[in-house]
Order: sequence, then C-alpha cells, then structure tokens
Amino acid sequence: MATFIVRRLLLMGLVLFGVSVLMFCILLTFSPERRAAAFVTSPQQARDIPKIIIQYGLDQPVYIQYYRWVKEISAGNFGYSTVAVSPVSEAFMRYLPITIEMNLFSTPLIIIIGIWLGTQAGIHKDKAIDQVTRIFAIIGWSLPTFLFALLLLMIFYGLFKLFPPGVLSNSVEMFIMNNPEQFIRYTGMYVVDGILNGRLDISLDALRHLVLPVVTQVTVVIAILVRVMRSSMIEEMSKDYIITARAKGADRKTTCFKHARKNALLPAVTVAGWLVALSIEGSVTVEVIFNRPGMGQWLVQSATQLDIPVILSVCMFLGLIYVTTNLIIDVLYAYIDPRIQLS
Amino acid sequence: MRKLIVIIFCLAFLAASLNATHATEKDIFIKSTIATLRTLDPARSYDDESRMKLENLYERLIHFDGPYTDRFAPVLATEVPSIENGGISKDGLTYTFKIRKGVKFHNGEIMTAEDVAYCLKRAMICDPDGGPNALLLEPVTGRGVTRDNDGKIIPGVFEKIDKAVLSKGDTVVIRLHKPFPPLLGIIAYTNCSIYPKKWAMENGCWDGNIKNAAKFNGPPNGKEPLHHIENGSGPYVMKEWKPSQKFVFERFDDYWGGKPNIRVGITQYIPEWTTRKLMFQNSDLDMIEVPPNYINEMESIKGIKIHKVPQLMVTCAMFCQKIDPTANPNIGSGKLDGDGIPPDFFSDYDVRAAFAHTIDFKALKEDACNNLIEIPSSPNIKGLPYSKDVKHPEFDLKKAADHMKKAWGGKAWEMGFKMVITFNTGRIVRETAAHMMAENIVSLNPKFDIEVRNVDWADYLVTFQQYKYPVFLIAWGADYPDPHNFLYNYLHSDGHYTRYSVYKNPEADRLVEEGIATVDPVRREQIYTRLQNIWNEDIVGVALAQRMVIRAYQDNIQGFIPNPLYSGAAEHFKTLTKQ
Repeated sequence: MATFIVRRLLLMGLVLFGVSVLMFCILLTFSPERRAAAFVTSPQQARDIPKIIIQYGLDQPVYIQYYRWVKEISAGNFGYSTVAVSPVSEAFMRYLPITIEMNLFSTPLIIIIGIWLGTQAGIHKDKAIDQVTRIFAIIGWSLPTFLFALLLLMIFYGLFKLFPPGVLSNSVEMFIMNNPEQFIRYTGMYVVDGILNGRLDISLDALRHLVLPVVTQVTVVIAILVRVMRSSMIEEMSKDYIITARAKGADRKTTCFKHARKNALLPAVTVAGWLVALSIEGSVTVEVIFNRPGMGQWLVQSATQLDIPVILSVCMFLGLIYVTTNLIIDVLYAYIDPRIQLS
Repeated sequence: MRKLIVIIFCLAFLAASLNATHATEKDIFIKSTIATLRTLDPARSYDDESRMKLENLYERLIHFDGPYTDRFAPVLATEVPSIENGGISKDGLTYTFKIRKGVKFHNGEIMTAEDVAYCLKRAMICDPDGGPNALLLEPVTGRGVTRDNDGKIIPGVFEKIDKAVLSKGDTVVIRLHKPFPPLLGIIAYTNCSIYPKKWAMENGCWDGNIKNAAKFNGPPNGKEPLHHIENGSGPYVMKEWKPSQKFVFERFDDYWGGKPNIRVGITQYIPEWTTRKLMFQNSDLDMIEVPPNYINEMESIKGIKIHKVPQLMVTCAMFCQKIDPTANPNIGSGKLDGDGIPPDFFSDYDVRAAFAHTIDFKALKEDACNNLIEIPSSPNIKGLPYSKDVKHPEFDLKKAADHMKKAWGGKAWEMGFKMVITFNTGRIVRETAAHMMAENIVSLNPKFDIEVRNVDWADYLVTFQQYKYPVFLIAWGADYPDPHNFLYNYLHSDGHYTRYSVYKNPEADRLVEEGIATVDPVRREQIYTRLQNIWNEDIVGVALAQRMVIRAYQDNIQGFIPNPLYSGAAEHFKTLTKQ
C-alpha cells in the first residue's frame, strides 16, 4: 500500500502541472484587452486598458506568461486578487475557513444521514420509509437551492427573527474587534475559535448563523447519497451470500448491517468522497443568500470578473483536493473490501 | 445523561437564537453595499465604493455644499477661492487656497500647507492606470496623462507638476496650464484628499524629490502604498476592513469640525437583494439601496423613508459610424445586401434619425423604469450648469420609416439589412432601449432583421472600444459637475465615446475646446447650448435616461442630504443622527 500511495503522490505533481497548463491555455484564449478589463470598473477607467496590458505583459507570448507565473508561484507569490482586494494567499486564508466551517457541520450530517436513510430505504424497499425517503430525495434533488434557501431565510429570519444571515452578529463582531487580545483567531472558524478561547457565547452565535446554511446544504446535497446508497443496498440485499447467511440462521439485523451495508458502502464512499471534495469549492447559492463570504462566492465572482490569479490558484488547489480525495477513497476501498488490492 | 446534555444544548441554543441582536444602538449606523471596496489610496480610488469610504476618512480643501453641485463649502481651506475674494486670478490661471489651522490628522499630526501641496503633487505623480488623476493632470499639465500608451513617461511632465503646485506660508497655489472653470469640482474630488507628507513618505509614497518621481509613478494594482491604510483628517477613522465583507468606521475624537452623532459606521457587503431587504426589515440594517424594480414592494413597508436622488449620470445609445468588419458577427455579411450592414451604415444621417425615432421614451420611463428615470434631451443633463431642454427626436414610427426610406439613397429600404444590437447584462434602460430599437425598426419593413444580444459588462467595455458594435448603449457618470465632463466625451472627436462612434464635427470640436477654456459664464452658456443642439441635429446618439438612486432609511435616521454627485454607495456619517 505504501508504494501505491507514494506512486500516486508522485503522479499528483504531474496532474497539477497538467491542470495548470490546461487552465492557463483556456484563460489565455481571452484577448489581452478582456483580461485587462478585469482591472477596471467604469468606462472612465477603460481608457487605460492599453497601458494595463503593457504593465502586466498581457500581450506577451503564452510561454513567457506561463514561465513568469510559475516563477512567481514558486516564490510563494500567487498573485493579487482584484475581487478579494488582497494577495490570493491572504484571501484564501480568509475565505476557506468560512466554507470549511459550514462543511464541518453539513458534510458529516450529509454522510451519516445519507447513508442511514439510504440503508433504511434499501432494506425496506417499497415500504413506507422507502417511499418517504425517495420523495425526500427527489424534492431535495429537484428543488432549486436558491428557492429553498430563500424560503428558509424568509421564514426563520424574516418571520421568526431566529437565524440571521452572515457569519456573526454585529455586537459579537464589535466585541472581537474591540478586544483582539481576548479573542484569538486560531482557525478563522468562529465556532471552533469560540471554544478554544473559552467563549461559548461566540460559538453559539456562530452556530446560530450556521443553522440555515447547513440545513439547506444538507437537504439539497443529501439526495444523491441517499439514492446511491439505496440502490447499492437493494443490489447487495438480493445477492446470494445474503440469502445464504439468512438460510444459515443469521438474523436480519446482522445480514443487513454487518454484511450487506459494508459491501454497499463502496459506491457510497465514492460519492461521499466526491461530495467532500466538492464542498471545499463552497456552495455559491448558499453563501450568497446567507451572506457568508466563502470560497464559492469568491470563486464565482473571480470567474465572472476574470480574476486570473484566483482562477489559476483555486483550480490548482481544487485539483490537489480532488487527487487527494481520490487517493483516500482508493485506500478506503481496500479497507472496506479486503479483496481490493492496492498495488 | 446524554439526553440531558442534548436538551441543555438545545435550550442554550434557542436562548441564543432568541437573543437576536439588532442595529438599535443609537450611535451605530449600518448600511449595506452592493460592491466591494477596491482601495483606500486616494490616488487610485476611482470607483464609487472606494471613493465613498474616503469621503468619511479624508478631507479635501473644499467640498460640495450640501445638496448643491455648483456651490462649494470650505473644508481644509478657510474659504472657497473666487475672483471676488482674490482666490482665483482674473485670467483664471491661478488658484490660491488659504489653509485651515489646527487641523489634526488621525495620527495626531497637524496639517500644514506643505502637506496639501505634497498630496496634490503626489496624486498626479502616482497616476496609476485606471486611476482618477487625469482629472487634475489635464488642467495642470495640459494633458491628462503622465505616460504615453507605450507606458513611457512623458518628458518634463513631473517638472510641470512640481512648478504648478506650491505652498507659501499658510497658502497653497495651483497654477494651471490653461483656464479650467470646473477646477473647484476637481479639487473637491477624493483624489485631492489631504494626508501628512511625512506619514505618506514613511509608508512608501513619493519621497518629495521631483527627480525621483518616475520611481513612484504607475504602481501596479494593489501595490499602491496607501492601499489598505489611512491617515486623513476626516470625521472617521478606519477601525477594521474585512475585504469583500465589512468596513467599520469609528468616530475621530479630535476632529476639528465637531463631534458627529454616529460613533460607529459600518458598511456591509450583501450581494443578494432578498437578504438585504430582510435584514433591513428586521432593523439589522439602517439603510439599503433599492434596485428600481423593487420600489413598489419597498414603498409598501411602513416605518421607513425613501429618497429618490437623481444622479449626474446619463445613458445614451451611440451609433458607430465606422464599424470594424474583421470577424464581426454584429454586421452580418458586412454589405448592404439584405444579409448585413456595411461598416459605415450609421454614417448615413437618415439611418441614425430612423433609429432615434424608435425610442418610446414614455414607455421607457413609465413602464420599464417605474418613473425612476428622467428623460434627458442631451448628455448635458439636469443638475449640470447650462443644461437646457432642447428639441430632440421624439418617438414617431412614421418619421422613422420616412428616414429609413431615404437612407442610403433608398437602397436600405429596398434591400433590407441584418444586424445585432448588444447591451450589457443587468441594465434595464439599455435592455429596453435595445429591444425598442430592434422591434420598432423591424416593424417598419419585413426585410429588416435586428437581433438583440446581451453580454457581460467587461466584454462590452472591451468590444465597443474595438469598434465592433454598430450601436452601443452606455452611461457616463460625472467626475465633476460641469458640461465639459459630459459633452467632451459625447461630442468631441477625441471624447471617450465619440472616438468609438467615429463622429467628427469640427464645429463641435472647436466649441468643446472653447467651452473649457472660457471663464465667462455667458459665453459658456452660449457654447453649451449650441453643443446640446448639435447633439440632436447630428443625431450623434440618443440620450436615453438620467438615472435615480433609491435609498431607503429606517424612520429613526435623520440628516441625509441628497446630492446628485453621490451614488448609493455614498454615506456621510457625519451628518446623520439616529433617534
């Protein structure tokens, strides 16, 4: 297994190189003028587009621009984000914790509830719980995220004034701002930092702001995992070894949860791994509607405003996440199903 | 036990939920923004959001007096210079500002005339790409740039700057290259903000030696030295800036102009309208800007005040008279053969006139824009000096047909044509006007075919400057409140929009140049009246709309002063009070 992991890690470099070349080539299909326009916001400023092209060397050959970019990132300079108004690395540290904080709650819920619901639906095929789960999955899958998010916001914030949008309440933010020595931002995630600083009130406040985004995220994303798990479970339950186990006297609980579910987990692990990787990108709709400035919001703004340093860096980062996730999934395969040999 | 922990946690959580905090503190004002702050350096700041932050942090020598765009109030100067008080020389070339004494900067330094002279020079020397410094460079050096289009520094430009701005005792003198009547409006602009020379130099700004000016010229985006720091003399200091999230101002206790009522001002970036509206309804925000299409739902809310503020901004449809035919999908075959239009299609007056008569201004104003625009008769809109209601093409499809029949010697009517009109996404006036033109022209003759497409703003900005659009719909917002700022760009052959519509009229060029070099208001009025008529006689374009900004405040907020120069991003916390 160690050889397998080392080989995959080495291949990772090649994949990232491929991603960078591909992204660079795609982005350079935009004209220098279009890329320079990312630096201006008004017609007045557009007068300076020719000078911006010269200043940033946007009209130079692709290989020179690529070389310059590689040289810069080798020195740890990922460029300047016009959208985030700061160096890309700084912006990254600002947005990533906000996205991770949300996923810290939503992803385990998606995986645990998704696998449990899928298992129950598979075991009780065509029974009431299966029908309910299927309806829930169909609604979750087909319901537009923005609509569901807005609905929750209007009811629980607009009507009941319970769960506000944003990351923290203004009063809490003001406290942190005025007392920086009393609240150290260890992780940038307020729920975690609140606990680490012994300020449960801040953690609770952050948690209050997380309720609606997490509920939205879970409801919308869980559907796919439920469906995969259900299909996989139904397939396993109909296999000979389950019938044999039952014939030999194994009880239903053991056959379902010990034998069938373990094998049915393989496709679910693939989907769950993909969901984890996907969650790092952030959910644009959830972040915009609940006003949580995380990775999703940043990435979409950067893409629409052609903030090239961000697009390149984030794509490289996501490439890294996907490759790592795939590696973890492969290792998990071998753990779940010992017949799978990693070599 | 486990159940007990869960119950306790849920109760605590519910208690925290019920303890919802609102912006009810009387000395805290929170507003939402829909754009993000780009820089705090006055020498770079040219977008609304950045400029409006600077308005609270920094001060200029003079400022617009309350709601007026043509009256000034002294700020860091003790009086507004005029010919009568000797502050402006009779030839209009020299401006003398007497500097206020005892003004403290946020770091405690006392302002001097030397600081003022340094800041004005530094703005022009810095001159980053996409910055606002052309405004000051044009009257001071005669050219609005320090570098040519190849990025090379124009010889002698820094020496000119150095000689033009001087400090003498408690006064600062600005010597102009030629008379420039709107100079005071430029001095009130945020790029002329004042900060301490010593502090600026310590933070990497120009070192004060003119021989080294080139080293400090044109810093790249984000690398301008004062990008994320401030040290003005304004009523508020920057407490915290979380880019793309929040900006917090705190009252400056040593402010020379008295203690403002609002202690903390917060601007919060909230891109989604529904979220903003709900936060406003729940009193978590004190002010929001309302998009025109949501005005009806806002007007039904009780306990709020709505201000509709006309802006010094005009949207026009411009006709390109020499389109670039290279790989241009907007002109079809590129010939007048029924399948396209020739590159010079709009050089024919009758084509332009026909298109101009297809705009149903009444429907545009009432139906599309909820009466939240003014229909201007030229780019010299209401609120600008010498604005006149001149005769302009009215909505008349019969006239449009008559002109079209005459266009290109009747060939356009006989052969028909095909073209594309584009507008940038998300602009209701531009979208409606584009559709009106297309549908009404097509209704004249079945051989006419116009497709309407929308494109992203950045693409639009680039493509119209490549002469690719037969018709481009675009707006201009005031840098300073003077007809020159608008009519130069819409009528002079070197103007920003006229250049890309390839319109040239020697009379218009001469009058625009004379208008800005003339100090006599009577002569200026004659010139600008004539220019407004030329706009309509030649049908250079069609003036479509002067927009309004809609600002909603909680009922307990007092003190907002509407001024057409300030967009929805603006908020002068100093004047506000909260009951």
